[in-house]
Order: sequence, then C-alpha cells, then structure tokens
Amino acid sequence: MRRPWKNRSQAEVKEAICGYISISPWLFGFVILTFIPILSTIYYSFTRWTIMDAPVWIGMENYVRMFTNDPLFYQAIKATGLYVAMSLPIVIVFGVLLSLLLNMKIKGMNFYRTLFYIPAVISGVSIAMLWTWLLQPDVGIVNTLLALVGIEGPKWFWDPKWALPSVASMSLWKVGGSAVIYLAGLQNIPPQLYEAAKIDGAGKVRTFFTITLPLLTPTLFFQLIIQMIEAFKVFTEAFVITKGGPLKATYFYLLYFYEEGFQHFNTGYASALILVLVVVIMSMTMLVNYTSNRWVYYEGDEKAK
Amino acid sequence: MKRETRKIVMALAILLCMSTFLFAAGQKETVATDAKKAEVVTLEWWTWNSEEYDEAVQRSLVKEFEASHPNIKINMTLLPTKGFETKMTTALGAGVGGPDVAFFSISSWFPKALDLGPYIERDTFDTGMYYEGFWDTKTQFNGTTIGLPLGVGASLVMYNKDLFDAAGVAYPTSDWTTQEYLEIAKKVANPAKKIWGCEILTRPFRAIWYNYGPNARLYSMDSTTVDGYLNSPESLSAYGWFYDLMRSGATPSVSDMSTLSTENTGPIDLFMADRLAMATLNQGHMLDAVRAGKNFGVVREPGVGNNQRHVNAWSMLVSIWEGTKHPEEAWTFLKWYVGPEGQKFLMDNGNLFPSIETVAVQYKDADKDYVKGFLEILNDKQVAIWRGSHPSGTKVEATIKDLWDMIKLGTIKKSEIKRELDKLVPRAQETLDEAKKTLLY
Repeated sequence: MRRPWKNRSQAEVKEAICGYISISPWLFGFVILTFIPILSTIYYSFTRWTIMDAPVWIGMENYVRMFTNDPLFYQAIKATGLYVAMSLPIVIVFGVLLSLLLNMKIKGMNFYRTLFYIPAVISGVSIAMLWTWLLQPDVGIVNTLLALVGIEGPKWFWDPKWALPSVASMSLWKVGGSAVIYLAGLQNIPPQLYEAAKIDGAGKVRTFFTITLPLLTPTLFFQLIIQMIEAFKVFTEAFVITKGGPLKATYFYLLYFYEEGFQHFNTGYASALILVLVVVIMSMTMLVNYTSNRWVYYEGDEKAK
Repeated sequence: MKRETRKIVMALAILLCMSTFLFAAGQKETVATDAKKAEVVTLEWWTWNSEEYDEAVQRSLVKEFEASHPNIKINMTLLPTKGFETKMTTALGAGVGGPDVAFFSISSWFPKALDLGPYIERDTFDTGMYYEGFWDTKTQFNGTTIGLPLGVGASLVMYNKDLFDAAGVAYPTSDWTTQEYLEIAKKVANPAKKIWGCEILTRPFRAIWYNYGPNARLYSMDSTTVDGYLNSPESLSAYGWFYDLMRSGATPSVSDMSTLSTENTGPIDLFMADRLAMATLNQGHMLDAVRAGKNFGVVREPGVGNNQRHVNAWSMLVSIWEGTKHPEEAWTFLKWYVGPEGQKFLMDNGNLFPSIETVAVQYKDADKDYVKGFLEILNDKQVAIWRGSHPSGTKVEATIKDLWDMIKLGTIKKSEIKRELDKLVPRAQETLDEAKKTLLY
C-alpha cells in the first residue's frame, strides 16, 4: 500500500524526484511521439481527411463503410489471418527446435549461435529481395535444386495458390532471433530437474515433454504474443515482392492501410483501418493471455507439480 | 514471478501495439522561410537530384540566376525524392514552412499552388513557347495555371537493332499498329536463347489503350461514369490484344519480369542485356543506351488503324506555394528557371530535354535519329487520365487489378473478359463515387 507523500522522508522524496527526472526523456518522447499520435488517430478515424485540407467530421461513416461496403477490407483481413495462422507455428516450432540445437554442449557453439542470429539483424527489404531470388521459378536456387531431383518447383510468389505460403515460409528467416530467447528460457531450467529425471530413468523424449517443454511455456507465452503481433503487422514482404498479388493472395492489412493512407490520401479511412487492427491485436493478445492459465507453467507452480 | 512475468509480457504487447500507431504518424518539420537582409530577398527552393539535373548543375543554375538578379538569393534545399514528398505534404498540410518554389509533383498539392494567371497576364509571359500538350495537361488545375512545366519525358519503344537484324525482321516504323507489334514481337523472340520480343505491360489504360479509341478509358473525362468506358468495345479490344500478347510466347514470364526488370521504370536491364528486342522505356533510358553504346532505334507506341495516337508523357510542374511571402521574387525566379534561359542552362549542362520546342531543337544531338524520334513523339496527344486529378483516382484503377492478374496468369479465357469487365463496373463506379468525395475542387 502506498504511503502519502507527506509521510515520506526527505530522502524518499528526493529519490522519487530523481526517478521522475530520469524517466522524463522517455516520458516526453512517449507523449509526443506515441500518445498524441494515438489520440489524433482516434480523432481522424471519424473524419474525411486528405492531409491537405481540414478534416471533416463524418461520425461513424468510415467504420460503417469498412464493415458493410468494403470487400478489400475483408480481403486484407483474410490474407493477414491466413498469414498469421501459417507463419506463427513456423516461428514457434522451428524456433524451439533451433534453440534445442543451440543449447547442446559442443565445441564452437557460440559461433553457431552468432551465425543463426545474423539474419535477425538484416533489414526486411534485403531479406525480401534475397527470397525473391531464392524462389524465382526459372533461375532461383530452390527450383534449381528441386529440378535436380526431378521435381518441377511451383511458381512461388507468382502463383495465387503458393504466394501466401511462400511469404509465410520467409518466417523461417526470423527463427534465429526467437531461438535466442528460447535459449535463455532453456538455460533457466534448473539442471537438478534433468538429473532427477535421469535418475528416474526418463528418456530424452519424455524429459523434453515433462520437464523442458512445461518449464519453457513462460518463454513460449512471451514469444507467442510477440510473434503474433509481428505477424499481424506483416508488410515489407508484400510491399517489396508481391505488391499484394497475385489475385490479392498476399494483400495484407498493413499494405491496404498504406495504400489508403499514403497513396490514395484517404487518411481518415486509413486511421479507422489501423484502429481496427489495434483492436484485433489487443483482443487476440487478451485471448492468449486468458488461456495462458491452462498451459503456462512456472517454477513452483501448483500445475507443474 | 508468475504475475510479474505476465505484467511484463502485457506491457511489451501494449508497446508493440502502440508502435502500429506510429506507422501512421508523420513527422512535422518546419523550415524558416523569411530571411530579409536589407533589400535582398532569400527564396526557399526545394528540389531533388535527378538524371536530368544533378546537384552540381542546379547549384550552378542558382549562381547563374543570382548573378543576373542581385536582389534575390536562392536557398536551394536538395531532398531525396521520398523525403521531398513527406516534407512537402507536411508543410503544405500544416500551412507553414513551405518552400517559395518547388516541384508540385503530387496532385493533392495542386490546390496549394499560387495561381499564376495574374502574373502571366500582367507580364504577357509567353506560355505558347511550351509544347502545347504539356502546357494543357501539366499546368492547368481547376481552371487555373498552377505552375510551369520543366523539361519533358515520354514513354517510347526502344528496339534493339542487332536482335532485329539477327532475326531478319524489319525495324518498326512510326505508323505501326498493335497487331504489327504483336507479330514483330513473336518473330524476334527466341525463347531457346532467352531472348524475348517485348515486355509485359505493367498496367492498362495508358497510350496503347487510348489508341484503341476515345472510350477505352477507365471512366468518362468528366470523372463521373464508368459504364461504357471501362467495359466499352474499344476497351475490350485493348484487353483482347493484351490477352493475345500474353499467350504469344513473345514475352518473359511474369516472374522473370518481376525479378529481372527494373522496378517501376521499365525493363531497362533486360533491354541492355540484349534479352528484350523491344521495350517501352523513356528518354532517360534512351540516353543510358547511348552511353552504353547500344545499337538501337526509337519509335512511338503502336497505334490502332487511323485512331488518334497517344503518348504517356510527363513534365515536372514547378510551382509557387500559395503561402509564400515573396510572390513577386518567386515569380521572377520561376519564369527564369522554367523559361528559355533556365531550361537551356539545364539542357547544356545537364541532361534535360526542355519543354520549350525552340530550345529543345538546339539539343546537342538533335540531328541524331533517336533524338528526332523522341521529339516527334512529344507532339502526340497526351494521355491525361488524371486531368483535374483527385488523390484517390488510382483507386479506381486498382479495382481492375485482379482481371489484369488473371490475364497475365492465364486463369481466364479471352471470351470471359467482357463478362469480367461488366462485373467490375459497379465496384469501379462505387470506388469512383467514393473517391470523388475527396476531390480537391
């Protein structure tokens, strides 16, 4: 329970003031660059605004149009939802598997850890360009290798059926970054638990499912939320490679938002679009948080016993 | 531990959500404009670097102007193209800190340009010196003159003479038709050697579409009606021609076009690599080809029968911001810079093709065939789909993107195109009506 200011010692007050002064640069930045833009976005979402002229208040019109008369909105929701459903398991599963490999005690492991982390620091546009060439149907290395074993590779980004899975598969590139987080989680698991399991005669698979995986769930929970939000914000791949096509297979939500806001200058409508995305992301985050009681285990937790 | 971890996770999640807001947030920047020293006026001039006029040439231009106008100083601010757009949009939208003179390259900025009509009339400034099409199409907005056209550019078909000679095919002539284009492309293509006849068009409703007839456009010239234009017989013929082109085997694959050609500016890389016998490029590419020693020719885009011929042409609109505090000095600079003196300076010292015909004919290589071919193209009627433009106009075009993809991918039969166009009309009309709500006039 907080004590009133008048009951605090001079030292405590000084410490508090120092604290506020210390966070003031961040606070200032937050208010100017985040909080005020958020409030502005909410306001503009109820207006018709092209940036050049004063916004015109139109009430709920943007939202009504979005939900009742905008097929592109649903197209973007569908493409983004499918992308999240495809890319999230890839990042989670391959991230965990890679972290298990990187947790092995072998010579030169630090080199491998660095190697797998490198892709995480490369810019998204460069990665997109790289994948464009990797998956180029006629001269790309993937189809060239497939041809060597007698398989005719698909047209990847240029086939409506394959475009979305192709973009989702690019998530593989990011697993090095999440693997480092899992690695930290793995190294926090007390070694005595593994020793006890070994004494009890548990095999590697059983040890993984009864010790490693349950005690990794807090990290998984964290990663699930972060990666889910990242997946909802997919943009660069579509902007650079597919332009939302073919046949709008990769017409992601942020691409639609970008076109509305920065190409068509429908800034009011774009503001409404981005607010809906924020609501969707927040709802999904809360849902994951709500279900976490059932599957996230903490050391010393009753469920873990 | 459990509760704290959750709190941290939730806090991070909220911060990440907030970052999506920031995606939409622009930065407000202001530039001081008024710098009066004695009687000398300093003008803010925002520009960018380009193939036609690089930084050094533009700085020399400023010196040249200042030497003959001692009471005006020019503060030239060179910006990257994308940064230029952001800075202009922010300044013009905010109504403060804009430049006195700048490129008004985006249609949504047009209402913020000073009406030059009174200055032109007072000084009896000769607007007739500019190519007529460029004056009509590029400088007029909502009944007012909003700027002067600097330089000219246009799409043109460049053909590789060596590939034509190797295939034993005669060079195209300026009276060629779309059907001849198709036949020539098939004859010069050699898929076994990865040599293609021509590229895949990036979008419809450009010069070739217009050449099919006055109704082969997205919507009526008064920007009100889609039906009878998007799905007109002329429009259908143009789509049919594109369908035949895509099935001809004369073009690279869609993926090859995407990865091997240069983004947005035409397939110059494929042309330079002798992989494309014909490519629709522009005058900048033409000069690149000259520098690279390519053996090429230039011809206008193919026509249809005796129909009016069109060209996709452009010019940089240079305007005075309506918020300028020095309109007289800005007008003095503008009419010098975009007048005969300034454009000749940029032509002689840079790579500008002037928008003034009497200056353009003085181009150093004016006697060369490629320059003659280019200058001839400039007299064709210009595609002016966005005349009196509105910022959401391209949205209407986006409604037909799926049909374009279907034709490219071969997922539609030729006989089904008419039905698809008819189906698209209501949606395109709705989009047009919605877009018109944001019209700037």
